[in-house]
Amino acid sequence: MNTELCTIKGTREGLVITIRDATQFGEVLRSLERQLLASQSFFRGSSAKLYLQQGVLTEGQMDDIESLIADYGMRLNREPLNAPLHRPVDESIVEDAKDVQEDNTLLVRRTIRSGQRLHYDGNVVVMGDVNPGAEIICTGDILVLGSLRGVAHAGAEGKVDATVFAFRLEPTQLRIAHVISRAPDEKLPQPEGPEIARVVENSIQLSVYNH
Amino acid sequence: MGKVIVITSGKGGVGKTTTTANLGTGLAAAGQKVCLVDTDIGLRNLDVVLGLENRIVYDLLDVVEGNCRVRQALIKDKHFGESLVLLPAAQTREKDAVSPEQMVELMAQLKEEYDFIILDSPAGIEHGFKNAIAGADQAIVVTTPEISAVRDADRIIGLLEAAELYDPQLIINRVRPDMVRKGDMMDIDDIDDILAISILGVIPDDQDIIVSTNRGETVVMDKKSRPGQAYRNVVRRILGEEVPFMDLQERKIMHWFKRILSGEAQ
Repeated sequence: MNTELCTIKGTREGLVITIRDATQFGEVLRSLERQLLASQSFFRGSSAKLYLQQGVLTEGQMDDIESLIADYGMRLNREPLNAPLHRPVDESIVEDAKDVQEDNTLLVRRTIRSGQRLHYDGNVVVMGDVNPGAEIICTGDILVLGSLRGVAHAGAEGKVDATVFAFRLEPTQLRIAHVISRAPDEKLPQPEGPEIARVVENSIQLSVYNH
Repeated sequence: MGKVIVITSGKGGVGKTTTTANLGTGLAAAGQKVCLVDTDIGLRNLDVVLGLENRIVYDLLDVVEGNCRVRQALIKDKHFGESLVLLPAAQTREKDAVSPEQMVELMAQLKEEYDFIILDSPAGIEHGFKNAIAGADQAIVVTTPEISAVRDADRIIGLLEAAELYDPQLIINRVRPDMVRKGDMMDIDDIDDILAISILGVIPDDQDIIVSTNRGETVVMDKKSRPGQAYRNVVRRILGEEVPFMDLQERKIMHWFKRILSGEAQ
């Protein structure tokens, strides 16, 4: 799905730059720069740790990464990661607390505009709109307390029971796990109220939210 | 100390240059000292719209490269002289010939002398756009009631916020009330719904604009023109006045009737 050699994600330990294969360092740097460019100054002011899936980095290569992300207002935290990114889930806990989500949740208190892309490991709550041309991709659920008119991808790492909720759910495209649906080409009547999207029998269904 | 306002849009052809020329002229007519700066290096046309093309000797690049002093490059307007000047863009160079730092420095210099510095930004989001916003205190985003223009305006608002230029204001240009009424054109509410920033003005589409542009005049000085009136209202809002929005739906004849009824036009 993702062919980039490195990814930037928010995790329990803050921002983590995951490098798939450090032996192709030149390509890693280019991949990193592409994503920093795409994210605009979304990460400005934050510090990031490195997570290597394969290979090692020399001090000089670390310096290269540090100076690249410094151009985008980020700092490099050279401390090692405390825990592996994907903690094996303890089954017994899941049984005990079925309704409690283990994932992180990111709260975004602004409108996400065209050209802005948000990638997060966990759930995302947007207090604002997601405009056409904007993208939210996360591994958990997406809640938009406003209009969702851009692209939303919930459960991006295969969580089929992820949902997308919005006060006005009029997305350009919706993806949940591996299922993709798009808005019909003809104009639809505007939704009357909050709606929620979920996967039912391998396709995405929208329904009025009443709880 | 003056204020630097950048006029920008993302999409080309929505009326940035026309807006810059009209707001500049309007502000000068309201007694302000105004300097217009064309930052569209390589594709300048603010000078043409103002009818000043034949007076250009030095340009913005000559100033930042130190080939001349700022004063030498400033061209006085035909009607307002010293209180409306233009710093033209270079036509024969590339946009990256100027750096954002140089722009910041130039703006600081112009602010000493002028009440308003209005920057006409190039279309796009690349180097030229970054130069234009570098020294700005405030941004005005111009859009038209088309999906593509609104989308680009949204992108620009995001980029302005990222560059710490907060609370941009919106001018919606080329609105055709007849088409809006028939549901063939996005209306103001549709645009406001997506962009959600404060609206500084709504300019009706009118052939006056094309006529005046081709003559090298500005519509804002034409007392009878509808877009001229809309631009004058924008100028008053920039100067801090509260001006109600024009009723675009109202036809001229109705307007005239109302004035008779209220006893104004005797």
